[in-house]
Amino acid sequence: MRLEKCWFCSSTVYPGHGIQFVRNDAKVFRFCRSKCHKNFKMKRNPRKVKWTKAYRKLHGKELTQDTTFEFERRRNRPERYNRDLVDQTLNAIKKIEEVREKRESKFWESRMKGKKSQERKEAAVELEQNIHLVKAPGAMVAEPGLTLPKQQVKMKVKVSMPKQQQIQAVQE
Amino acid sequence: MVLYNFKKITVVPSGKDFVDIILSRTQRQTPTVVHKGYAINRIRQFYMRKVKYTQSNFHEKISTILEDFPRLDDIHPFYGELLNHLYDKDHYKLALGQLNTARNLIEKISKDYVRLLKYGDSLYRCKQLKKAALGRMCTVMKRVSPSLAYLEQVRQHMSRLPSIDPNTRTILICGYPNVGKSSFINKITRADVDVQPYAFTTKSLFVGHTDYKYLRWQVIDTPGILDHPLEECNTIEMLSITALAYLRAAVLFVVDLSGSCGYSLAQQASLFHSIRPLFANKPLIIACNKTDLQPIETLPESDALLLQEMKREAAKAGAGLVDGAPPDEEGCLLTMSTMTEEGVIAVKNAACEKLLQQRVEVKMKSKKINDCLNRIHVAVPRQRDQKERPPCIPQAVLDAKVAEAKVLEKRKLEKDLENENGGAGVYSANLHKHYLLLDPDWKEDIMPEIMDGHNIADFIDADILQRLDELEREEEEAAATAQAADEDEDMSDQELTAEETEALLAIRRKKKQILEEHRLKKSTADNKPVMPRKHDHNRQFNTGRMGRHLSSLGLDPGAAVERIRSKSRLGRKRERSAGGGDDYAMDIDQQPTKKMRARSRSLSRPHTEALPGEGYKDSAQKMKAMKIAKKAVKQRNKDARKGEADRVHYNLKPKHLFSGKRGTGKTDRR
Repeated sequence: MRLEKCWFCSSTVYPGHGIQFVRNDAKVFRFCRSKCHKNFKMKRNPRKVKWTKAYRKLHGKELTQDTTFEFERRRNRPERYNRDLVDQTLNAIKKIEEVREKRESKFWESRMKGKKSQERKEAAVELEQNIHLVKAPGAMVAEPGLTLPKQQVKMKVKVSMPKQQQIQAVQE
Repeated sequence: MVLYNFKKITVVPSGKDFVDIILSRTQRQTPTVVHKGYAINRIRQFYMRKVKYTQSNFHEKISTILEDFPRLDDIHPFYGELLNHLYDKDHYKLALGQLNTARNLIEKISKDYVRLLKYGDSLYRCKQLKKAALGRMCTVMKRVSPSLAYLEQVRQHMSRLPSIDPNTRTILICGYPNVGKSSFINKITRADVDVQPYAFTTKSLFVGHTDYKYLRWQVIDTPGILDHPLEECNTIEMLSITALAYLRAAVLFVVDLSGSCGYSLAQQASLFHSIRPLFANKPLIIACNKTDLQPIETLPESDALLLQEMKREAAKAGAGLVDGAPPDEEGCLLTMSTMTEEGVIAVKNAACEKLLQQRVEVKMKSKKINDCLNRIHVAVPRQRDQKERPPCIPQAVLDAKVAEAKVLEKRKLEKDLENENGGAGVYSANLHKHYLLLDPDWKEDIMPEIMDGHNIADFIDADILQRLDELEREEEEAAATAQAADEDEDMSDQELTAEETEALLAIRRKKKQILEEHRLKKSTADNKPVMPRKHDHNRQFNTGRMGRHLSSLGLDPGAAVERIRSKSRLGRKRERSAGGGDDYAMDIDQQPTKKMRARSRSLSRPHTEALPGEGYKDSAQKMKAMKIAKKAVKQRNKDARKGEADRVHYNLKPKHLFSGKRGTGKTDRR
């Protein structure tokens, strides 16, 4: 029993899950769920579909080159069982996992580093250019600053006399 | 070695058929068309050819028959004698001789008539001559037709003769009728001869084959012989006599001890003595049959004496065969019972053995044997001394062998385990126990396969600890550098104030709203129902909405509301508003009148008015011309005739008939 990787999205496929397609050239395609299978059938390229691991790695969204990845590697030569070695390995897997998570979060942080200041700059520009949408330039003259006019107050408009009455008045 | 096979003799047609075959052949194979106008030489040639062709055909056909039938003097004397007895030698020779004569006569006739045809002076004469020639030939053939019929019968009978090879190893079974000869041959071969409980069941020779010492032996079953002079023998008996006389074989004289065949032992003994000359120079065995009915031990005194006599004679007959061998009396008399199969094989083996010995003896005496012996050499190594030299096996090896055998004996097999633990289907073999691991305690361990979404097998590595250490070291270094970097970092940009954040949110909300409105408007193009403006709160053209909009932007809507049309366009003259400025008020001094609007329409004119360019002098002339024109068409219109002003539909071909390429069909269809 092995955990396999989904051909499309590279997620882990547990035994009893997903579907497997064997092409007539004997190449095996495993899919974690029908979504991936359908995408494959639509001949989509996982490198161009944003939600796949392949896309994220290709576009620098995730850690690609790291020593923690080198521990896990498919071995095609069977090893003779050794209890001590397995024990060590089980411990090592946890540690490696910790390190990997740490590095990934670090990578994310560095990737997001300039984001805040960038956003602020953009906000400043937007404020300057689009303030007229919420506050008229006339109002700015009367009351400079970014304080927005109050919205809730209903204006009472004074109307001197209804039209019909006025006409009657003229005729008289 | 000549093989006698009479099955391949061609069929002999009867006299009439013979003639038919030949004549139709002549008709088919020679030209048939001839005219009187032909040159006489050509006509003669035509008929001469027919005569010659017929003769040659007769010759050919008769020759084949003559060649196919064996000549009695040339074949093996056994067959010669056999055919003599079956078909009568004289009759046979006569028939063949007659055919030969007929062949010569036909040749002569043909010669004569060809000579005569040379003098034929007309087509008619030639034709008559040919007719006469063929007629005479056919008459000759007709005369020999009894011979042909006889030969055909002989051919049919001969083709059914058993294919006996007179020169091979043969066992010949003879004796009184009904003594068990056929039963014996059925026992030792697969000949399947008919066996019946009456005399002369077997009427001809039968052949079977058996096996002894990897050789093929021919066994011949003969009809029974009765004890009377040779001259009185019938044809069936003569077959047996012939076979006995001419075949070089081991003779098996079958005697019925019990006398149940209908003949006493004395009669059988007298037969034996009377045909004794035929046994000369042949291995002879007397086989006493039917011992199940009459065992040889309880034989009456007189019969026993007769048997003794026969035995002695048989031994004498066989004595001269093998050089220096004393007459073997015991081997000459054997008992058997074909019913119980007791002693049958012994009899067969004895007969075969005797014949084989004799044949070898004869061969050894012949001249050819030297050629054979010269080529054979059997080497026999001479013994060096009297010392024994057994194979030498070291003691250690013997011990090892014994030990190995013990181990093999002791080892418990999986099968034994299975039987001890409930047998097949209950016991399940433990495969783990054969594992070769560093520590035998680990054998029963279960290897985990999956942990935290990883395959454990993918991580198994001999130097995992070392690599893990390396990784940790790497991590520590990275942590140290990261700390330094954190210290360097500072935030240069300021945070947005609460006011700014609010304004930004409002702007974004507004933008979103505009976008959505725009999209909604666009979507009306998709034939979606649109709420009338009258009922749409947000699209009404009224002061309320305008006021709301302006005030939302922070403007005072009062002045704008004052300028609404209902207020600004009331009456002829606009009242001056007290508060507002005059600069954007419209100045309209007068009410619009009908006269003012008259300008927009051109002047009306009577249709009789003469306009420049029409060619009339004045309106009177125009009126006159119009009247004349009207009058001219009046009658035609009354008759409903077609005029030049009527609409015309031309008979145009529809477009599809003009367009496209012309195919191979009609020109008016495309």
